[in-house]
Amino acid sequence: MTDKTCTLAQAIAAIAPGSTLAIGGLMLHRRPMAAVRELVRARIGGLTLLGATLGLEADLLVGAGLARRVRTCYFGLEAFGLAPMFTRAASEGALEIVEETETSIACGLRATLARVGFIASPAWVGTDFLRVRPDVRTIADPYTGETCVAFPAIMPDVALIHALEADPMGNAILGGNLAVDWELSLTARTVIVTAERVVPRLSAEADLLGQRVTHVVEAPHGAAPTSCYPLYPLDAEAIVAYVDACQSDRFQQYLSAWLET
Amino acid sequence: MKPEFTPDEIIATCISRRLRDGDIVVQGLSTPLTLAGYILAKCTYAPNLVLASAVGMAVTLDWKPLSLVHDEAMWLDRPLRRMNFPSICREILPTLEPREFLRPAQVDRRGHFNNVCIGDWRRPRLRLPGCGGIADITPIYRRVELYVPRHDARVFVEAVDFISGVGHVPDRPRDWYLVSDLATFDLHEGHVRLLTLHPGVSQDDVQARTGFPLQVAQPLRQTEPPTAEELRLLREEIDPLGIRKLETVGGAARAQLLKEIIHREMQSQRRDSRTYPTTQ
Repeated sequence: MTDKTCTLAQAIAAIAPGSTLAIGGLMLHRRPMAAVRELVRARIGGLTLLGATLGLEADLLVGAGLARRVRTCYFGLEAFGLAPMFTRAASEGALEIVEETETSIACGLRATLARVGFIASPAWVGTDFLRVRPDVRTIADPYTGETCVAFPAIMPDVALIHALEADPMGNAILGGNLAVDWELSLTARTVIVTAERVVPRLSAEADLLGQRVTHVVEAPHGAAPTSCYPLYPLDAEAIVAYVDACQSDRFQQYLSAWLET
Repeated sequence: MKPEFTPDEIIATCISRRLRDGDIVVQGLSTPLTLAGYILAKCTYAPNLVLASAVGMAVTLDWKPLSLVHDEAMWLDRPLRRMNFPSICREILPTLEPREFLRPAQVDRRGHFNNVCIGDWRRPRLRLPGCGGIADITPIYRRVELYVPRHDARVFVEAVDFISGVGHVPDRPRDWYLVSDLATFDLHEGHVRLLTLHPGVSQDDVQARTGFPLQVAQPLRQTEPPTAEELRLLREEIDPLGIRKLETVGGAARAQLLKEIIHREMQSQRRDSRTYPTTQ
């Protein structure tokens, strides 16, 4: 099947409860907000959230009670401060945290791409990460004998990626801020691409190949209030409004209003 | 007359003076003060500084004034090279060892530092956002460079609650440096040592706000303050919105400052070609 276009509801229905959900984009940039909103509407829970960084999109999923576990190297709102619902849940012990860093995520995804069980790196040596990740083993470099960390392969079940432009096959343009979406689009079993517009033929070189993409959905303004460079910038006032709502215990009201949009 | 300066300004100045022309520097997550320092170096004696960032996933030779709303534009309007996240982390960082000033939530007498949690990891008093790639680079880099915008005994602790950044490694001397709003420090024989005092700060001030006994360099010198031209560049050219100051305040004051900066940026009528979407 080469035409993968469908509605957002159809795409989100492909996500099983308990999935490891990889979230495309980075920081407050090109996050798949429309897809996340549909996921909250569908109440698909027990999720493991995986992202190079996680931010507003993941904080909404944590606050909505749909996340069981998080795997990331940074969960926050950058200049806008701590991610309020994550910080609360994690400090209360209500969320399982699988500690990751940039290297553990990059090696894990690249190991999957290379079809090996791990990629070795000198990262983490001398830190406390190995203590809280007993599943991550060290090995002796077979050539030098130096201690390395064998970062295990990461295989997301689902990837949500927002693009500027996609064709029906799922080839897509990301607009400059590439994040980790290339790797996510090739490692996840279900790859949902939302795009500002879906066109028969892309207007420029693709950043993603559609081969492993399973769903293509047109979602104008689908990254807002995060940015979608160069089409629209970050909506800073909207992010401040979110933080204010959480800090005055109005998360549920915020969520209800957001689901109506 | 000596110029008056604020903590963000002396920290940015100290950061800028550590760099050399041609260095590649990285801006980490949510660290506008470092970017102000890097651009200050670029505007003064390091015009060929190469800038890289997690914000835009790109390497660039050009700079723009600091922005909250259009922060990707500096990196993506005219990149030298676009990268993706795994390429930066797996290819650029281990090979080129870019300079990067890191902001710890805690730092201890051995120079180890923490950005993961305050208190026990299993049930922290405060969960922090995480360390990004600090645990990946500090085990291998020859240099470790830190900044602390608000020097406090809750930051400078006897032993960090979680080592996410590696400081002293026995038998491996390396260049470890920290600048706070009070002073600068290095590691001497595996122990954090007071190196210079910022103008108007006493050794007792620093010790009183440090949670372990400090070693002190002999002679203890004064930090060279920012020049009038460095201050002008920071205030008028590099960061007229004052975004760097977000790192030097906390709580309600920070929330208020954030709102003011956003308001100023939204109101700014000087949306020239330096900002998108006009460029594409």
